[in-house]
Amino acid sequence: MNALNLKRLGPGAAILVAAAVVPSIVPRFYTYILAVILITALLAMSLNMVVGHGGLYQFHHGVFYGVGAYTVALMLTKTPLPWWVGFVAGPFTAALMGFLIGLFCVRLNRLYFGMIQISLGSLIWALTFRWYGLTGGDDGIHGIPVPDVLSGVTRSYYVILIVFSVCLFFLYRIYRSPFGTTLRAIRDNPERCAAIGINVRRHQLFAIVIATFFAGVAGVLFVVVEQSVFPDLMFWVLSLEIMIMCLLGGWFTFSGPILGAALMVSLRTFAGVYTEYWTLILGVILILLIFFLPEGIMGYLSTKRKQKNGRRTVE
Amino acid sequence: MVGLSRAMILFIVSSGMSLVLGVLRVPNIAHGSLYMIGAFSAFSISTLLGGGNAGFWLALFLAPLVVALVSFIVERALFCHLYEREHLMLLLFTFALMLILGDLVKLFWGADYRSIMAPPLLQGSIRILGSPFPKYNIFLLIIGPLVAVGLWLFTNKTKIGKISRAAAVDMEMVGAIGINVSWVFAFTFVLGCFLAGLGGALVSPTISITLGMDHDIIMEAFLIVAIGGLGNMWGALVGSLIFGLTQSLGVLFWPQFAIVFPYAAVVIALTWRPRGILKSVW
Amino acid sequence: MLRVENVSKQFDGFKAVNGANLSVEKGEIVAVIGPNGAGKTTLFNLISGQLKPDSGKITFLGEEITALPPHRICKKGIARSFQIANIFHRLTVFRNIQVAVLSQKNRNLNLTSPSDRFFIEETRAILESVGLADKHGEIAGALSHGDRRVLEIAIALGNEPRLLILDEPTAGMSPEETAGTIALIKRLAETRGLTILFCEHDMDVVFGVSHEIMVMEQGRTLIQGTPEAVKNDPDVQRAYLGTE
Repeated sequence: MNALNLKRLGPGAAILVAAAVVPSIVPRFYTYILAVILITALLAMSLNMVVGHGGLYQFHHGVFYGVGAYTVALMLTKTPLPWWVGFVAGPFTAALMGFLIGLFCVRLNRLYFGMIQISLGSLIWALTFRWYGLTGGDDGIHGIPVPDVLSGVTRSYYVILIVFSVCLFFLYRIYRSPFGTTLRAIRDNPERCAAIGINVRRHQLFAIVIATFFAGVAGVLFVVVEQSVFPDLMFWVLSLEIMIMCLLGGWFTFSGPILGAALMVSLRTFAGVYTEYWTLILGVILILLIFFLPEGIMGYLSTKRKQKNGRRTVE
Repeated sequence: MVGLSRAMILFIVSSGMSLVLGVLRVPNIAHGSLYMIGAFSAFSISTLLGGGNAGFWLALFLAPLVVALVSFIVERALFCHLYEREHLMLLLFTFALMLILGDLVKLFWGADYRSIMAPPLLQGSIRILGSPFPKYNIFLLIIGPLVAVGLWLFTNKTKIGKISRAAAVDMEMVGAIGINVSWVFAFTFVLGCFLAGLGGALVSPTISITLGMDHDIIMEAFLIVAIGGLGNMWGALVGSLIFGLTQSLGVLFWPQFAIVFPYAAVVIALTWRPRGILKSVW
Repeated sequence: MLRVENVSKQFDGFKAVNGANLSVEKGEIVAVIGPNGAGKTTLFNLISGQLKPDSGKITFLGEEITALPPHRICKKGIARSFQIANIFHRLTVFRNIQVAVLSQKNRNLNLTSPSDRFFIEETRAILESVGLADKHGEIAGALSHGDRRVLEIAIALGNEPRLLILDEPTAGMSPEETAGTIALIKRLAETRGLTILFCEHDMDVVFGVSHEIMVMEQGRTLIQGTPEAVKNDPDVQRAYLGTE
């Protein structure tokens, strides 16, 4: 078991080490991009926990990301509380919001779940967009006074890397835990899960709370690196973009969303230099994915590997 | 009154969405893009014909057809191969379509604001109960119910309409009695998109036509369909009225938060009846 | 042990179950038979909570369980299999059963330790008792039809039920598979002391294994009694066996 773990975690550890030395060898801009990738990857993983492993139509995950970010932003700019209070409050507020919205959603299944979530999420977006007095409306809030320890590209990068690694560790634990196993069982067959004594709705709600908590963490990290927030964080297009990342990486896998986020963020950054038709490219990629790679890159690779081993064990 | 005529546009667009949702079980996210294409085509056609009465009416007639053609091509070339797949895939496909169509519109028509005039016949306003009211809005108030009645007649009185209604309730049954389900899907999809295009053409004289109008309308249509009851045409009408009226009430009483009002109404409606106010066809 | 009294359920005016009565005693194998559409599956869904009855009362071990949600009923000791293979098709066979065991032991909210540390032995024991041990690593969705049906039963066993409800356990099976499944049911009843309630179309199977038989027609209970009594009942012969 341990040997297997080592083999499985080996590449991950190597990547982490590589990630740790990157800022000292590449230009600042790339470090910044890497930080954005890490944040987006965390966000995508939190979404994938409920969509890919939970089978829930979590259509508006971006809202919780935004709630996390706005909580920090507001606490740092409008209250005299010490900075760390805001950083702790961000994820918890997001999780609370996840709990409240989740309460409505889990009563319904599938598409209705998604619909309710989109409408509740849009309400929050609309409020943020218009409430100039509090949230700065469509301008957002800029120049958020992030404490010195966290400011500067390199330093914030390391903070993000550490937080990301810690979250990754916890997400992996959850993935492998009985909770995660049960969640995947619910995805495959909620009716049967109820028949074997699982309180499906409570389990789903719990999953949403955990996922939104991590989305909140991602939101906090966003503030660390950008020092600003704007309502686009909660716009539904972003929510769907994150979903594409999960799809691209492979949503039945654990690490797929990281790859998906990395590819999407890099593509967007570099395509943005050459063309203003980024969404066109994104749309074409998505269609190609749907037609040719519905299980995503990681999903495809793991199927290939299994065929080679003549063994078929996936979760 | 402004709210009412706004509600008519919303109804035309969302009834198309509801139709597709009812039969294909997929919320067509590209619906808003087709609406936008409808508006831009209306602009091009009427400009080409030099404005005026003829230009407008022809645009109103042709623009939805252009949209229907686009959707037909997309459906037969790509979308129809996905019906067997997971629902999330269909949904994401329509999202991809939205992204692509949005940029294609940018390529075609550019990012400028466009506008067309209402035809001379419908310009100006008349007085109702002492307050002036644009003639064009009256025109919309007439068109909306006409479309509703037309749709009702279509789904209840024509054979293909009945088939699509039956397909919404029980797909396998329709397939079992020897009807080509794929073509029922195609037809419904195209008809739904036609309505999006019609909505776009109709709205074009009242707003400035611009990129981004797809995003606004799609979310509204989505929510309207959700409050009305998925796939229920009358639900779309009720939802549109709620949405349009709360929006104009919001503008009247608390302009800053006007956009919040309809959303809040949706939340209340869905809390009260999570499966929509009217019965869903599912 | 289980008592169903005068239970009814309507769907859009159609009375699927209309005043059904049933009693199951501890240690018995009880079969429910009846023509297609007699309401057997609906009755099972009412007992296990998938559906809520419009009227009537269901008690289990002296406790009323009418209209409780399925997961609560399951925790009281009633597990069931389904007519269509209702498995977790993306998980491995092992995990399929482990999930049920985790649920039975109230461990499915554990967030921090790997699943691999829980109930390996218990799960393996079930796998061996149903004969799926050599397929534990396969994806459930890739199993053959017969194996899926067996897995279906095995998942229910994960709940350590006191009463096991099987909805047409041999539907769609080949004769050999049917024989194997029947032997399995008998063995389970003996070795685990399970009480089993099942419905089945194959009359040989029904009369071969059950202690008691309940006959349904159009949602009503015609009779419940020993196989002998049922065989000789004039109503049953008219309504059911006669038309067979």
